[in-house]
Parts: sequence; C-alpha cells; structure tokens
Amino acid sequence: MISKLAASVRKEYLLLVRDRMGLSILFLMPMVLIFVMTLIQDSAFKTLNEKGIPVVFVNNDKDSLGFLIEKGLRNNDLCSYSDSIHGRPATAETARQAVAEGRFLIGIIIPEGATAAVRKNVNKLIRETIDIDAQSMKYDSSGSDSAEIDILIDPVAKKSFVTAITSSLREFISETKTKIMFGTFSRQIAEIIPDKAREPKNAFTESQIIKYREIYASKTAKMIVPNAVQHNVPAWTIFAMFFIAIPITGSIVKEKSEGSVFRLRTMPSSYLILTGGKLIVYLGVCLVQFLLMISVGLYFLPMLGLPSLVLGSSFWGIGILTLATALAATGYGVLVGTLATTEQQGAIMGSLSILLLSALGGIWVPTYVMPESMRAISVFSPMNWSLDGYYKLFLRGSNAMAILADAMKLVAFSIATMAISSFTNRIKRKV
Amino acid sequence: MNNGAIIEIKHLTKKFKNSPEDAVKDISFTVGQNEIYGLLGPNGAGKTTTLSVLCGLFPPTSGSVLIDGKNIQKDPADIRKIVGIVPQDIALYSSLTAKENLDFYGHMYGLKGKDLKNKIAFWLEKLDLTDAANRQVCNFSGGMKRRVNLIAGILHQPKILFLDEPTVGVDVQSRSVIIGHLKDLNKAGTTIIYTSHLMEEAENFCTYVSIIDHGKILAGDSPAALISSFKGSGNLEDVFLQLTDTKPRD
Repeated sequence: MISKLAASVRKEYLLLVRDRMGLSILFLMPMVLIFVMTLIQDSAFKTLNEKGIPVVFVNNDKDSLGFLIEKGLRNNDLCSYSDSIHGRPATAETARQAVAEGRFLIGIIIPEGATAAVRKNVNKLIRETIDIDAQSMKYDSSGSDSAEIDILIDPVAKKSFVTAITSSLREFISETKTKIMFGTFSRQIAEIIPDKAREPKNAFTESQIIKYREIYASKTAKMIVPNAVQHNVPAWTIFAMFFIAIPITGSIVKEKSEGSVFRLRTMPSSYLILTGGKLIVYLGVCLVQFLLMISVGLYFLPMLGLPSLVLGSSFWGIGILTLATALAATGYGVLVGTLATTEQQGAIMGSLSILLLSALGGIWVPTYVMPESMRAISVFSPMNWSLDGYYKLFLRGSNAMAILADAMKLVAFSIATMAISSFTNRIKRKV
Repeated sequence: MNNGAIIEIKHLTKKFKNSPEDAVKDISFTVGQNEIYGLLGPNGAGKTTTLSVLCGLFPPTSGSVLIDGKNIQKDPADIRKIVGIVPQDIALYSSLTAKENLDFYGHMYGLKGKDLKNKIAFWLEKLDLTDAANRQVCNFSGGMKRRVNLIAGILHQPKILFLDEPTVGVDVQSRSVIIGHLKDLNKAGTTIIYTSHLMEEAENFCTYVSIIDHGKILAGDSPAALISSFKGSGNLEDVFLQLTDTKPRD
C-alpha cells in the first residue's frame, strides 16, 4: 500500500516537473498577478492619498469663514486645492463649468457676507437670550442672517465617494462656522459683562467636550491598516492554489485519453492510491505556492515601495487554513478532471469556474464593496471562506480558533468534491 | 468449470446505455489453460468489448464470466492480481522514461524493490530497449512504444494475458520480436487471449481462434481445422472473409 502510494506520488511529481508550461502557470502567473494587482490598486490609493481630491475654491466672503475654510483645505492632505482656473481667479461661474467638465471633482463657493451672517446670527441669539437693549451692543442689523455655501460635484463621480467627501466637507465647514460663532459669542459676552479677564482665549477649543478617537478593532496591539498588500497577497495566493485545478484536470484527462486509466483500472490498485498520489503532490505544490506568495508580500513588494505584508500572530492558524485551502483546491481539481472528457473541456471548465468562484469570493474586488445580493452569493465560494480566514488572521489579529469554522468548511468541501469524483467514476464505469 | 479451462464465459451479453444494439450477444466460450486464444473480427465486431468485460472494466449486462474459477463481478480484486493487459492504445506516460513507466506500473501490480528492478532490467534487455531505458517515451518510435506497452502488461508474470491488437502499426521486425516473446511467455505457462486484424499473424500465433462479428461468435477451432473446414480456403483470411463478408466496415 505504502510502496504503491509512494510510486503514485513519484509518478505525479515527475509528470509535474517535466511540464514546464504547467509549472510556470502554477508559480509565475500568480506572482505576476500579485505584483500587478497590488501596484495597480496601491497607485489608485496613492492618487487619492498623496495628490488628493481636486477641489476648486471660490472665496467671495473675504472674511473669517472664507479664510478659515481656505486654510483648512490648503492644509488637508485629502485635497488638491486650487482657487484659480487657467491662471485666473476662479468665479462661481467658471468653477461650476470646470467641475462640470471634470477638471475638479468638487467645487466650493463661499458667498459674500457669509461670515457677517454667522456673526449676525450670534448677536441676535445673545440679544434674545439676555434680553438687553440693542442699543447697548455694537450690533449691525443690516444684511442677511443666513448664508448658502454651494458644494459643486462632478456628475460622473461615484455616489458613495461623493457622499463621503461632501459629508467631510460639511463637517469641516460646520466646525469652522461653530468656531466663528464661539469667538463672536465670547467677544459679545465680554462686551456685555465688562470683566475682560474672564474672556476665554480659545472659546472653541474649550467647547470641544466630545472628542473622537479612531481605533482599528484588531486583536493585536499593533494597528494593521487594510491596504492593497493585505488584500492582494492572500487573495491571489488563494487564486493560485485553486488554479492548480487546471494542471490536475490536465493530468487526469491525459491519463484517460492516453489509455493509462484503462490499464490502471485493471490493476490491483485502488482509486484512493491513484488519486492519493495526485493529492499529495498538489498539496505540496499549494504549500510551496503559499510560501512563495507570502515571501513576495514580505520581501519583494516592500522593495517596490509598497507596504510589507503583516501576517498576524497565529502561525498555527495560518498553517491550518493553508492546508485546508490546499485540500479544497486539490479536491476541486480532481472533480473537474473527473467530469471533463477532453483536455480542452477541462481547461475551459477549470479556468472559467475558478474565475467565477474567485470573482464571487472577493479575490478581484473585496466582498465589502459588493452589492448586498452579491455578498449573499459570495458566501458559497470556497475562496471566500479562505479569504475570510486570512483576513481574520492577517487584519484582525485573530487566533487559530477563529478560523476553525472556515477551515472546516474548506475540508468539508474537499471531502465532498472527492466523494462526487469517486461516485462519478463508478457511474461512468457502469456503462 | 470445465477441466483445464481457465476462462469460462456463459451467455455473455453486453449492451451499452447509449447504444440501441447489444455490443456482445449471448456468447459462450471457454479458454483452456496455456492456450493462445485468438478473438478475430472486423471493426465493431465486439472483440474489445468482450476483452473489456473479461478484464473487469465493464460489468456484463447478463451472463457469467469465470476467470481461474472466480467470478469477475464478485472477486474482481483477486482476478486483477493474476491478469495482465496490453491495451490497443499505448497506455504509457509520454513524459516519463521507459524505466519510470515500468517502475510505476510494476508497483501498481504489487512488485517492489530489487525484484521489480531486476524484472524491468530483464524485460528491457529481452526486448532490446536497455539503451533507451532512460529516454522519455515521447521520443520513441511506434515499435519501441509497443514493446514498452507490452512489458508494462507482463512485468508481474500474469497467469492470463489479454492482448488487444498488440502489434498494430509496428514494423515487421518489432512485430516478430513481440510475437516471439509472447510465445516464450506462453511456453512459460501464461494463457493468452489475443485480438487482431492481422490474420496471418493470428494463424501462426494462436492455438485456437474464434471469429466474431456483430457481437456473435460465428466459428471457433484451431486455425488449421478452421481452414480445412471451409471449402476453397487457403488460409485464415479466406475463412474470415467467408464468414464476415467482404463489405468494408466503419
């Protein structure tokens, strides 16, 4: 039994190492994919993070509110600030046109008298609250007590993105307005109650009772930031592991077409020994693939200026999940090889189904950006179970226990595919 | 089981699911121990189907097959240990060398270690393949591939050997070598069941011949007896054509 299994493993190993094209598909293709996809996605992140969102600003206010917003935008890394178009100061009209043409993603127009309107509002509030004679205050009752700030939006910009950006802008403008209101408020109170020593130097800062802290809810003390590397390395490693279905299919179909299966079926050897040889060799291939891909994330991507992959702290978890993924991938390969009758059929069936499973599983695009309906379907992809497990280990810093359910699903998938393959073989023999 | 019969087939019928007709129709025959039994017939006559049922590849639709006293459906594992198969197709891994192929198939027959190594070396030497032992099979000529294909089926010294057109497409020299060694194997005690289109080869090689067509056995006897029993027949090919007519088959 052992010597038969060893012979089967040796045969599969020799067949694999002599298939140079197959080997390049197994090892080079996913490495190239990791490089390309990570660089593409990382540069997309950098476009937003480093150069910022192009914003055109029109300040018709020429007072505190306008200046403070302008200062805020200029200092904000998220924005690429501009107040001129074609070398001329931007106006409401030219800004609207430039945003419509897509030269800027966002346009902000601060109307004339916006600061005055805020101040007037505060004065009015104080008068009504304290009920003092208007004459005793330096109060200008002329002009409007409200201002309308226009936020122009590029019509082709993605809605969710625009919502996020405009929300931030509104929050920032509102904060600036509050700052002015507090300043005005404390000055007015100081005028009414002439004990100037009590006037706070920075009324706004002191008014910030509620502050926010953003913390990544990772189980490790170190903050692991989701980035292109953290997604792409595990994602394409899983893809590569499942891609072994193509050479496994090729190997099985070739055995059928070359007549080896005919001979093997008449020999005193079980299906388990013949398939076991394939399973052991391709499990080994999956593990080598994993180590290679992880090395790319740890050592090669940082050489290109990309962040290094963070593996988390559970090496047991990584081992269990990788083995379970490899089992699922090899089982799937055996199933496709069993169902296919020609090499072409196997290659098409294998590659298309893997592309579909990977798209559904969140390999190409993370599932959290998918619509609800697709997210519901994605839970049926074994690649999703694996990716979810790696996210838990790499991003959330979870331990081996947290990925056991994912690993068990993958092992169950492997057992199911092997059982279907064995059953299909029996059915095919009962012609 | 008849005295001296190693294979006994009774009322064997095989019908494939997608086929409207029976591939083999109620055939019965016995093969004596140490016989070279030729199953001859045109394309689609039912030779390979009969052989496949005897090898345990397909279950019979009806009828019974006893090999060395064991039922093919009840004791397939026992039967597999004593039979060897040389299929019509070159059932070898083309990217493996001759030695690697034989090593793998030898292990699958339960051979191992020094015994296996010696057997591989012996047969490679005997069939003039020692120099090519470490070359990949894909670089072999048709005749060389046929010889390796033969060794893969006889390496474990089977009691019964099934040969499905073992010399098809090979040159006269290779054919002569193959047939010569098969005769030696038979002398050493192996019963051979052989199918072929080559009447001259069958006439010289077989001790008993059955002519099969449309799934039925039309005649069976020693080649000499068959030739003499059909008037105007000078050789086995004449008998074959008289029984199966001269119309080309698909």
